[in-house]
Amino acid sequence: MERQMETDQFGQNDAQLSSALNEKIHYLTDLNDSLSNGDDLKVYQLMDPQRYAGELGTDSDAPIAPDHFNLASDLTAQLSHHLSNKLIDYLGTTYPFFYYHEYELGRFRIYFGNWWDHRMFGELDPINVKFNFDEDAYKILASSFALEANNQRVNDDAMKQLGEQNERITKLISEQDSRDKRKEAVRAKLKENQEKSPMPWEAGKVKEERQQLNDELLQLTQTDEEAANGRATIKENENKILALSKEETILSLEKKNIRASFGSFEAFIDNNDHLYDKYLESLTQESQVSDGE
Amino acid sequence: MVSNETEQKVISANELLTNYGHAIQGGLDTGAKYLKAFHTLSETQDGQALLSAAVELTNFQLNSDFVTFPHQFSDEDVQLIFFERLLTLADLGTDFRISNAERVQKLLCKFTSLGDQTFTFTKSTKNSDGFFFGPTMHNRPLFYIDLKNKELMFHGSALINYFVVDLEGVDKGILKGVLQLLTQAAAELKEKFGFKVDFNVLDSVNGEFYAFAAGALTDSVMDELFVKSAENQFILMTDGIGGASLTLDNGIKVTVTDNGKPDRPKWGAMVHDDQQSENWLYLLLDYPFIKEWYLNNQKQLEILSNQFVFG
Repeated sequence: MERQMETDQFGQNDAQLSSALNEKIHYLTDLNDSLSNGDDLKVYQLMDPQRYAGELGTDSDAPIAPDHFNLASDLTAQLSHHLSNKLIDYLGTTYPFFYYHEYELGRFRIYFGNWWDHRMFGELDPINVKFNFDEDAYKILASSFALEANNQRVNDDAMKQLGEQNERITKLISEQDSRDKRKEAVRAKLKENQEKSPMPWEAGKVKEERQQLNDELLQLTQTDEEAANGRATIKENENKILALSKEETILSLEKKNIRASFGSFEAFIDNNDHLYDKYLESLTQESQVSDGE
Repeated sequence: MVSNETEQKVISANELLTNYGHAIQGGLDTGAKYLKAFHTLSETQDGQALLSAAVELTNFQLNSDFVTFPHQFSDEDVQLIFFERLLTLADLGTDFRISNAERVQKLLCKFTSLGDQTFTFTKSTKNSDGFFFGPTMHNRPLFYIDLKNKELMFHGSALINYFVVDLEGVDKGILKGVLQLLTQAAAELKEKFGFKVDFNVLDSVNGEFYAFAAGALTDSVMDELFVKSAENQFILMTDGIGGASLTLDNGIKVTVTDNGKPDRPKWGAMVHDDQQSENWLYLLLDYPFIKEWYLNNQKQLEILSNQFVFG
């Protein structure tokens, strides 16, 4: 009885198993063929049929192919390397200012520009056709665009402050002579003050005067010290200003390049957000062109 | 013994006049030889004869115990006369002139286009055949010449200090004219006389490596070049291996790179242009921002010259 029921319930098992395996074999064969034919569009479809259908949505009636990517998901590094070839070619025209370095199989760092000290701007994900921008690098570029609208730059305040500090120290250094003279005068007055033998009712006034003179002398020697260390501070500040100017130079080149390719930062963002469908669209057109030939 | 001494005295007395005569004659012969060489130096139309005469007259022992000549051109004067005549024979224009020909000894010269600046040769303390050429007012040799050993070397940082810093404000066409004259004279010595010439910062051949004094550059030096270039609408590009390049007007390309080994960096610059007419010194004259960069970081960026000869 038991045995019979079992047979009834799972009678189709082997057939189903075989068909499922066949489907998987078929999937892997498809994937393999697409890879060797250079049909990246098909590879993208096989890797994520759901997303493919959703974003390309050309044939909404067509059934979505089953997702068997888990069968090949341990091969993403190799797939990523394979897919990067055509993707980077495509990005070379749409984002001509990005440069890529494959630092390990299938993993790509993005560099913004090829100018001196260009910034590492994040990573490229060829599997998902996506830029994973470095958060800090991206944030500072975004704020540079935002500030620009008010004619400001990211480092303006810091640079101004350092510049003013240097001006102040330069002044302190140049005033050394007059400070030396003033110290001499204060010391003379102190001596005079100490030699006084005041009447009891004047003692408070003399003491107060002495305190004032001592305070002034202390102030002057402190300023001397600041002036003496001033040249090193000036040099240090100049280096900081240079680093900030460099950052501004880099930001202005980045903005210039984004504008040259996209017109605006917003258009750049929009294009990034639609990179997957734009790229697959271009692959579709490419395959249609080659079909037509 | 006694008679011997007497005899000898008699012989000496007899020979005295003869010896005296020989000594005078020898001195006069030397004088005649000097005069002949001097005549060649000042008159000949043949370059090789000119060079031989100048070499002969350098360190020439003209005076003897018996014959002295109160007026004699110095070795420095000989170099100057040679140089002036070399330019004339090579037809290299009329800008260079001996400026105080009315006086014998300590001749000076001028480049007419540079106005009152005078120049002179100074003997090397290390080599009596070697002479430095430079502005009279500065102790800075622009080049070193050794006619006997056929060597000429330009001194890069002295040329920069003089033509870029001291003569700042002088029309750069004039400066380039003078520098071209010096370069052409050196080229003439190289090609026609087989001199070994180090053109240093005046070398316009593509691929010439102008080595910086520092060996390794600090990042901030390159950062400064990057910022200054951008301010002047030029973009310093990275070469991906630590160096950088700058494309200037008319396709002139400057590369700053490490030419050494990992444990022994050797940074320097190269200038590339199709005409092969631009060199490091001209670059500083042509691009004020590169000049500013160079002078701000002179300690590191100074171009090396032969340290034994000029040191």
